Amino acid sequence: MLYREALNLALDEMMEKDETVVVLGEDVGFYGGNYRVTEGLYAKYGERRVIDTPIAENSIVGTAIGMALGGLRPVAEIMTANFAMLAMDQIVNSMSKLRYMSGGKLLLPMVVRMPQGVVKQLASQHSQSLESMFACVPGIRVFTASDCITAYHGLKTAIMLDDPVIFLEHTLLYFEKFEFSKDSFYNPFKARVLKEGKDLTIFSYLKMVHDVMKVVTQIENTLNISVEVIDVGPLNPLDLETLTNSVKKTKRFVIVEENPKHGGFGATILSAVLEETFYNLDAPPLRIAGEDTPIPYNRKLELLAIPTPEKIYSKIVKWGKENGL
Amino acid sequence: MAYEIVMPQLTDTMEVGKIVRWLKKEGDYVEVNEPIVEIESDKAIMEVPSLRAGYLTKILAEEGEEIPVGSVIAIISESKEEKLDEKSEEKQKPQEKEETQKELVLPQEEIKVEVKQLPPATASPVAKVLAKENGIDIKTLQEEGKLPIPAHEKDVKSYLINEKFQEDAINFLKDYQLNPEDVAKTFSEKEKITIEDVKNFVTINNIPLKKSITSIRKSLIKNLKTSLEIPVFHIFTELDFSNIPKESGFTITTWFIKILGDCIYQYEKLRTRTDEEFYYVYPTANISVAVDVSGELFAPVIKSIEKKSLTEISQELENIKQKAKEGRFSREDLEGATFSVSNLGMYNVTMFDAIIPPNCAGIVAVGKIVNNVAKLTFSFDHRILNGREGAEFINLLQSKFKDSDYIKSLMG
Repeated sequence: MLYREALNLALDEMMEKDETVVVLGEDVGFYGGNYRVTEGLYAKYGERRVIDTPIAENSIVGTAIGMALGGLRPVAEIMTANFAMLAMDQIVNSMSKLRYMSGGKLLLPMVVRMPQGVVKQLASQHSQSLESMFACVPGIRVFTASDCITAYHGLKTAIMLDDPVIFLEHTLLYFEKFEFSKDSFYNPFKARVLKEGKDLTIFSYLKMVHDVMKVVTQIENTLNISVEVIDVGPLNPLDLETLTNSVKKTKRFVIVEENPKHGGFGATILSAVLEETFYNLDAPPLRIAGEDTPIPYNRKLELLAIPTPEKIYSKIVKWGKENGL
Repeated sequence: MAYEIVMPQLTDTMEVGKIVRWLKKEGDYVEVNEPIVEIESDKAIMEVPSLRAGYLTKILAEEGEEIPVGSVIAIISESKEEKLDEKSEEKQKPQEKEETQKELVLPQEEIKVEVKQLPPATASPVAKVLAKENGIDIKTLQEEGKLPIPAHEKDVKSYLINEKFQEDAINFLKDYQLNPEDVAKTFSEKEKITIEDVKNFVTINNIPLKKSITSIRKSLIKNLKTSLEIPVFHIFTELDFSNIPKESGFTITTWFIKILGDCIYQYEKLRTRTDEEFYYVYPTANISVAVDVSGELFAPVIKSIEKKSLTEISQELENIKQKAKEGRFSREDLEGATFSVSNLGMYNVTMFDAIIPPNCAGIVAVGKIVNNVAKLTFSFDHRILNGREGAEFINLLQSKFKDSDYIKSLMG
């Protein structure tokens, strides 16, 4: 199943089950969504529940907040995380605060979905990874979806929650096929161990999970070690229990993230894990992140600016050899 | 003229497109900008117009098929009957886009590691905890060179394990490629594990000593296996050396090689090798002689024996001995023989059998000489000669050894 189809299925099932679930955003209705995530919903549920909005992101989120306060469960789509910058006032000053400032009396059952990340030559303004901007705001949940299971089950849980959720997707994953099962158990508040290992833990999320998995066997063979791979999953709250348990076992960890290293979300993971595991560590942690530059348009420069499977392999092998592996 | 219609890239991210519906069928006339096909991209279903006017002579992608961007999906021609040119036919198969098809290429060369210059006492947190628990001082051990800088958990662990062993016991373990940790478990009650303990461990557990095979030995094994495929027959015979003068100043080996070489020169089949397609008949008598160089078997070749005197052959045998001592044979020294000699007579061996080296027609194994007579075992490649021919050759050799005039002529 395609990643976007898993998201579509989650929306469809929730809308069918609960008529308070509504979808709103730019081109989500008649056109079926810029990345076809909402395809077919307009025909099935009509224009009252699948709402095409003007190109006005702050209003989209603001409207969704109003809907949520009024008893609906809105799922707002922001075409890409880059455009969510226009909605930051509503996200940061209203969405994240209302539950807290009302002493929990106001429920805010809403989701703001958006894709992010480098696709292919969409240039600086359309290629950003901005998870840190959302994850640093207390009062909102930040979920990530790296495959069909996390997309489907994660989005369904996000819609059911009475807290506001930023639901991060990766644009390049929409057209990827992943294994899917409705029955598979997935808790979007937990990190997932994708592969067990003894000597090193690699943390990543969204598309980087797949880039890591592409080279994990080669890393194991070159360094003659066994590697544990963990999809971090929720960025806020972090599932520190799973992350630190793994590091206490393997004694080494690497974080692979697409966003720039300076202020990138990996720094938050690193400090949280390090505080818990310092005396268990056998090597300094390593962050493999994007370069501290706007994403270039030129394809070669674009690939130089973010982690690739080749870079992940080389950097981990070098780091491993320098640090006793 | 015929033109190709390719799968268009309809969005930035599109890599494949699905043919939803052909709006024209083969043979239809199409105007410029007239929609001809509906294509589903990653974002939407779109109608794709023709860029040229003409007849849609060939549709190459069926409805429902997913085609990579840039691959030919149809042909438009100026006339209805126009045939496709071959170039278009070849392009029928969808061609993957370069980047999507590209295999993951990881750096092959060794990844360079930067050596960190760090002061003693530098160790990972877990290594320090472990050292403290076991009452050892990382800084001192690093200054004594017993631990690396920085020290990691495995360094401290292996130090602690090695400490349980005497030094020669550790070296012994290394020879047997045993893990000290496993062995230490057996002797957990002992303060220090000695080399005797470890030797006992090896004997009790019947652990073999693993030795690596030299590359020379490996190529010998490979050659022997090749030789096994040669269909071979043996002839056992005796050779009378009584006509060979005792005081000639030449060794029996020199005589034997000279006379054998002369026979081979006369007998074409023993100057022959085969690849089962052809026979290759060589112009001169080249014999290889099996020699042992510190345990390794070499077969250097004496060439053009028919042209060489006993003195020259004797000199060449000396050279071989010298080269064998130094262990330096060139490739040329070892190539070109069609027959081989193996001699174990000096080891008090009565009779034995030798294996034909690849590319030789045969080999003779020479036993010790008793009362001027040696027992010989000939092995011949049956693909090159038959039993009768082998016997004929041996008769020739025996008659030469009886021919006093011939032997005198060799003395010069």
